[in-house]
Amino acid sequence: MKTEERAQAIALAAAPMSDFLGRTQPETLLRWVEAELGDAGALDRWVKYGAARTKAVAPDNILHVVSGNTPHAALQSLISGLILGSSNLVKLPRGGIPEVDDFISRLPADLAAKITMGEELRDDWIGRATAVVVYGSDETIAALRAKVPSGKIFIGHGHKASAGIVWKDENYVSCAGAARDTSLFDQQGCLSPRVFYVRETKPGFARAYAEQLAEEMERYGRIHPHGPLSVAEKVEISDLRAAYNFRAAGDLRVAIWAGGPELDWTVVYEEDPWFPSSALSRVIFVKPLPADLVAELGPHSAHLGAIGLWPCTEELADRFFALGASRFCPIGRMQDPPWTWHNGGVARLAPLVKWVDFEG
Amino acid sequence: MQDRAEQTGWWEKTIAAWIAAPEARGFADVLPQLHAFHFRQNAAYRAFAESADVAAEVTDWRSIPCVPQDAFKHADLRSFPTEETVKTFRTSGTTGEGFGQHHFRTLDVYEAAVREGWKLGVLPRGPFLVLAPHPDEAPHSSLSHMLATLAAREDFIARGGRIDIARLQAATQAVCLLGTALGFLRLFEEMQTLGMRLQLPLGSTALETGGYKGSGRDIARTDLYAMFSDHLGIETGNIFNEYGMTELSSQFYARGPRGLHHGPPWARAVVADPVTLGEVAEGETGILLVYDAANVGSVAGIRTRDLAVRRGEAFELLGRDPAALPRGCSRAADEWLAR
Repeated sequence: MKTEERAQAIALAAAPMSDFLGRTQPETLLRWVEAELGDAGALDRWVKYGAARTKAVAPDNILHVVSGNTPHAALQSLISGLILGSSNLVKLPRGGIPEVDDFISRLPADLAAKITMGEELRDDWIGRATAVVVYGSDETIAALRAKVPSGKIFIGHGHKASAGIVWKDENYVSCAGAARDTSLFDQQGCLSPRVFYVRETKPGFARAYAEQLAEEMERYGRIHPHGPLSVAEKVEISDLRAAYNFRAAGDLRVAIWAGGPELDWTVVYEEDPWFPSSALSRVIFVKPLPADLVAELGPHSAHLGAIGLWPCTEELADRFFALGASRFCPIGRMQDPPWTWHNGGVARLAPLVKWVDFEG
Repeated sequence: MQDRAEQTGWWEKTIAAWIAAPEARGFADVLPQLHAFHFRQNAAYRAFAESADVAAEVTDWRSIPCVPQDAFKHADLRSFPTEETVKTFRTSGTTGEGFGQHHFRTLDVYEAAVREGWKLGVLPRGPFLVLAPHPDEAPHSSLSHMLATLAAREDFIARGGRIDIARLQAATQAVCLLGTALGFLRLFEEMQTLGMRLQLPLGSTALETGGYKGSGRDIARTDLYAMFSDHLGIETGNIFNEYGMTELSSQFYARGPRGLHHGPPWARAVVADPVTLGEVAEGETGILLVYDAANVGSVAGIRTRDLAVRRGEAFELLGRDPAALPRGCSRAADEWLAR
């Protein structure tokens, strides 16, 4: 099966999942291959490479180790392997991921046959794998890296936390997008913002933005209700609400808006610029943008994933470049990375292939 | 009208007398009045209560607002003039979030609650051996103070983080060991390294308390108690757990690996729904709210961060969030942020 045929089959299987995979058309996938390998046909034929020609060779077997229960990382990683034409061993978290089963059920038999899945990491998988891609905590990545013999390709995607920066938005245009970025997937993804830093273009603007965001959270939640919460998650959110309710009662630098009978969403305004370890599940902080955000975040910036900007300009991206995030995008599109997205600053296809050059 | 100090003094005497003779007063009578006192004396508490639409006068102690534990980190929850403070206990605190402080105008009520609660809980009489730092070494630890209320200076056998195992070996009559779960765990590890096992005299007992916060350890109570048997020869039914915290003045005790926690008559635990804060039905899980009349100088109602199951007048402690499993890739970033 050639790259183009694989792209068509994958796009067909991914089509019903556009709400979390984005638009996945054959051309989109081929443009991704072209962006990373220089030519969409590089896996199928000799392509021009400087004065010579070259061909990409995909790994025979890719082992994907996926930790989170959200479908994004698993599907994105699996699709990387499928578009390259590799066979794929997928270690899923306990309980599996229904969306992955759903996706595979729509693949043609010859592509589906290139996937072996399991909830346990089988003993022989590392030995069989030519490349290993791991999504998980620093500890998980380190533990697996130690098990993978040198000579095999190893790519680790550690956990990330994301944020938004509102530089100028007098009319609160970005609020609806901020609510969507926060609410989608109930904040379980590493592209989910935990905090929006809002520049005080006039006194009290960040607080007013928080209030507007609360309205948008309510509006979004009415159309897209929160998923079910465990008792533990309820405790976590209600604890956070209780703590901020107490503080807000006696401190004007703190305010809280909360909605829904089931702890559906929470917006906390707090002047302290620290990067919050939010309770997640639609709990979002709004803080005035400090004069030097880089200094305020300090070592936290090493784990920044995406930064949503408003407005999203290159000038602003340059201004906040030193934060160390690997992606800048408009607020409202934080959850919609393109297929060409460098996850954690790393290309997702190029590091997996090897090249054979022809100089005839 | 009494002045502030007089009112506080009156409450201290009243609660101390109640602790000494628990049958003399009813919880339902005292708590609403204590809330009214706190409401008038404590600005931070008053602002919180008003934000929750609770006035100074309440008829049902269950409608007293419970202050979240976290508030002790940010607010001055003192129901007496600052200059009259004789003691401040501090929580251990986590990175970046500071520590909580519980201030006292007198330790008489606190110490009475410790002693009488111990007696009413039918806990071991001693002699004691304490595997935790003495207040001289840990002046801000409420646990050290509590243990020093029960045991004498010479009963403390941990100095500078080292446990004097020879004192355990020298025991010739039944002893009661007091310490933190983590402290006992370290003792067992040290004994294992030394290849040592002890058989303490028959009838020896132990009381362990506290979790494993910040240690990266988490051991089920049944497993920990099995270690007591293996290393010290203490029967698991002779081991007690204490549930207490810096923000409280009273303690709850459970006996054995599956024992339920009971409190003294001047303190009540309510297992509440985390959303509505209403008491859950028998056998259901919720967050633990504790009402403690011995908290004369601060606030009576504390919203803890622990989960529990309602079991009659007692509760089965589950601790922090046992069901929370990582769900997404941003979840573990919390662990990193908390470092």
